[in-house]
Amino acid sequence: MTNHWIDIKNADVILMMGSNAAENHPISFRWVIKAMEERGAKLIVVDPRFTRSASQASLYAPLRSGTDIAFLGGMINYALQNDRIQKEYVAEYTNASYLVSPDYAFHDGLFSEYDAGKRGYGARKTWAYQLDDKKIPKRDLSLKDPRCVYQLMKEHYNRYTPEKVAAVTGCPTEMFLKVADLFTSTHKPDRVATIMYAMGITQHTVGTQNVRAFSVLQLLMGNMGLAGGGINALRGESNVQGSTDHALLFHIIPGYLPAPNVKDFPSFEEYNKKTPQTADPMSINWWSNRPKYLVSLLKAWFGDAATKNNNFCYDWLPKFSKPASFILLFEDMLKGAIKGAFYMGTNPLVGGPNANRIGRAMDKLDWLVAVDLWETDSATFWKRPGAKPARIKTEVFLLPAASSVEKEGSISNSGRWAQWRYKAVNPLGKAKTDLDILDLVFREVRSLYQKEKGKFPDPILNSTWNFTPQGAHEPDPHMVAKEINGYTWQDRKEVKNFLDLKDDGSTACGNWLYSGSYPGKNMMARRNGADAPNKIGMFPEWAWCWPVNRRIIYNRAAVNRKGEPWSPDRWVVKWADAAWKGDVVDGGPKAGPADKNPFIMNPEGVGRLFAAGTALADGPFPEHYEPMESPVRNLFNSQKVNPAAVILDSVAREFGDPKRYPYVATSYRVVEHWQAGAMTRNLPWLTELVPDMFCEISLTLAKAKGIKNGDRVSIFNARGRISAYALVTDRIQPLSIDGKPVEQVGMIWHFGHGGAATGDAANKLTPSIGDANTMIPEFKAFLVNIRREA
Amino acid sequence: MTGKAFLVDTTKCNGCRACQVACKQWNNLPAEKTSFFGGPEYTNPAKLSAITFNHVKFFPVDRKNPGGPIWEMMHLKCNHCEEANCMRVCPQSAISKMDGWVVIDQSKCIGCGACESECVYQVPHVLDKTRQMYGLKKSIQGEKSYKCDACTANRRSVPACAANCPTGALAYGDRDLLLKKAKAVMNQMRGKYPRISLYGETQFSGLRVITVLKDTPEKYGLPLKPKTVNVEKAEAVRDAYQLLSLATFGLPSLKRVAYRISRSMMG
Repeated sequence: MTNHWIDIKNADVILMMGSNAAENHPISFRWVIKAMEERGAKLIVVDPRFTRSASQASLYAPLRSGTDIAFLGGMINYALQNDRIQKEYVAEYTNASYLVSPDYAFHDGLFSEYDAGKRGYGARKTWAYQLDDKKIPKRDLSLKDPRCVYQLMKEHYNRYTPEKVAAVTGCPTEMFLKVADLFTSTHKPDRVATIMYAMGITQHTVGTQNVRAFSVLQLLMGNMGLAGGGINALRGESNVQGSTDHALLFHIIPGYLPAPNVKDFPSFEEYNKKTPQTADPMSINWWSNRPKYLVSLLKAWFGDAATKNNNFCYDWLPKFSKPASFILLFEDMLKGAIKGAFYMGTNPLVGGPNANRIGRAMDKLDWLVAVDLWETDSATFWKRPGAKPARIKTEVFLLPAASSVEKEGSISNSGRWAQWRYKAVNPLGKAKTDLDILDLVFREVRSLYQKEKGKFPDPILNSTWNFTPQGAHEPDPHMVAKEINGYTWQDRKEVKNFLDLKDDGSTACGNWLYSGSYPGKNMMARRNGADAPNKIGMFPEWAWCWPVNRRIIYNRAAVNRKGEPWSPDRWVVKWADAAWKGDVVDGGPKAGPADKNPFIMNPEGVGRLFAAGTALADGPFPEHYEPMESPVRNLFNSQKVNPAAVILDSVAREFGDPKRYPYVATSYRVVEHWQAGAMTRNLPWLTELVPDMFCEISLTLAKAKGIKNGDRVSIFNARGRISAYALVTDRIQPLSIDGKPVEQVGMIWHFGHGGAATGDAANKLTPSIGDANTMIPEFKAFLVNIRREA
Repeated sequence: MTGKAFLVDTTKCNGCRACQVACKQWNNLPAEKTSFFGGPEYTNPAKLSAITFNHVKFFPVDRKNPGGPIWEMMHLKCNHCEEANCMRVCPQSAISKMDGWVVIDQSKCIGCGACESECVYQVPHVLDKTRQMYGLKKSIQGEKSYKCDACTANRRSVPACAANCPTGALAYGDRDLLLKKAKAVMNQMRGKYPRISLYGETQFSGLRVITVLKDTPEKYGLPLKPKTVNVEKAEAVRDAYQLLSLATFGLPSLKRVAYRISRSMMG
């Protein structure tokens, strides 16, 4: 989240799209309702189904799953055509006025430099700005130059007419216009909209561009950086924010530093050569500090062994040669290239796409270690229905893990607040904390390397691993937290924050973003419930949030060039008497509002309506493409699927033909269950509420297929067949797409064969294809057929 | 009618059922063995029982409302009527008021089911019937009637259901204030829900669960003028029962027979 949970109460309009927060983030509704009750805020819910969230909405707009860009592109067009944009903000704080390369082009769904053979774009030099002789991007503040971003954007989106939006998304024109009108009412400086989104937006072949479309809209409205504004990703796990910050994903190392890889970062020199640069004196370009963060991280990892002469051991880091995305990992497992797997709190046989294929891949493993509170469906993959246990040779180790109340440590919520938690009870039986398990494994691996040497022992033998206090047997989470905060190497004193970090090896820091969380004192353990003078619910001394306890990021954009808040009644920061007041201001307190641009993480310092350069794999403007599996043609261009999305040969024949599988399917959660269900399907009080796998279909589809409410049905496609109960409901209705009715099938994905309450996994039906940038699987839009079971 | 009460504001409820689970946890009630039955919608279990004191009933969505579709989810539990039918018909006088809350003293209860059959809201349930319904073992204590006691037995400052409501749809407080709040909510939400209504202000001389409904009470099966027990008849049944029960040797099973006979005699 750019903002945080409590801040939702400051919004005038709340757009919930690709999120069913009432199910998946029920506590967030406390703030949604507060905004509605106390500010008279309006809630817009855009969703294929009339959901529990929609039941509270001021406006509910249906849309076909996978057509978010058509909808949002329509809103962008509506804003531009009706001049409902925050002009001063757009001119000053976005790249609307920047001139784009004369060679940039867009034609029939393809941007310039498309290479059909490689299914992707080349060096993307034509997606760059025109530079003046000082290497600063050229601008036209009148926004009239045909090569300026504003004009290119206007041209790009003028095809997204309300009628076209309706034909593609299935949202009636009248309702679309109501939503567009209400949302763009926040173009006024003192009206603010927030966007709440989740996996319904990201889990598409155009997932990244869906989020980009939000960014474009919020920049046009001038809603970034303001209280009650921003773009708010509602994280699906209680600590998924923390795990992402600490590099759960394959493309980053802690603190969102790019992961070393063979192509881009083969060496330390190459890594630092690619440090983002700017010639613009108005730009803070925070990433210019990257070398300090990288060196401090290497120092934290390798200690005395990391010296200037050996490039701080950069060469010891593994460098990937191909993306280690979820889908590709299991493809490798299926080929037998991955021999062993460690599942810590993960249940891919229920939670991963194309679950039958995942099961077949797991059959090839020599060994599997499952670390969880329960014996999960994945830990018992060898006895899943249809498996032949006698032919599966995998040795499975089950390590009982401690639950959240059985251990101490920090947890980072969606709003980036790191909060310290304490142990309430000792772990049951032989269960151990994750930290303890990892510590034991590492120490055992290291002792094996000491004894047996091995091929490449240096990084293992030289890792700093000082987490166990003298005389203790178990590692101490405070010692881990201190390493994350960072310290001076010489005298081991915790640094104040990341401003103290150096690129010469004199500091060590496990994650620059969290530097400042434990500067001698555990800031995450703070529990002062007093609000700040601006009274917008920041509670700055409650826990700690990254970066440097800044509660709303991009907060320089909350004021005009004079430093006056756009929305004075909920000001975030303001510049008065040559000083900043309020939240910790972005980019350091010295520079005034007229001196520096607010979007400090971009080298140009302004928000990107046009994603210049190589930031994205699939285009500088979001463009609508159909999901990989779709029953209709693309009405916007003749590219059916995102032309930069990777389609694996190995699964090509598993994609479904709309003639055989005509219904648009999507998957989701209900509030009564949690993720892949290992925790909740073993709790009787919750299985009482949702005891079985079910799907949701419309009255019309039920009638056509002879299905009655409560019947058992088979849902199937080229990847599998599952059995479920049918919930026939008027909350789902067929959508009129391009003049034809399209039916939808919704499925919960919590169930699997293991545990107390069992059922078929919806993910047996989801496809092995991912987003062009992130490779997140397209869980949210695919095709199925359905029939009543005899 | 003064004192504490609950306000159920269904315009703020999205049916998360934290109330249903929190109640089970706090009162240490077992889960029912359920299966999917099509609700309507997510309703499960089907209704209140001797081991389910809080229940959220989901209604089918109404697409015809001009203010947008209406999906009602109604929180149900004992309404704690000011003049409670169950109290009047209990032959054992096992049901009484505690701080205004209607509570059952299970040590006096013989499980005759009078309260269950006379409650227009179908709130109290005799345990063994629930057990039979879910195929659980017969209880050793014999048949007893159970229902919500507003957490008076397992006392806490705010009852578990209200304390765990994330949205403020279920509030606990002074009845007078809650009634005022309910009326304010109705004024605020009338644009979206033109037939928004209040239930519980007057029924049975006032309920301690006041509900703001998105549509009329009738639509959600709540009687506007619920049938009250005939007091004289109830007294007559009780008198007859007291005579007959002299011959029951204190055995609950015989007492139940005595109750049935008295009711058929006087009914």
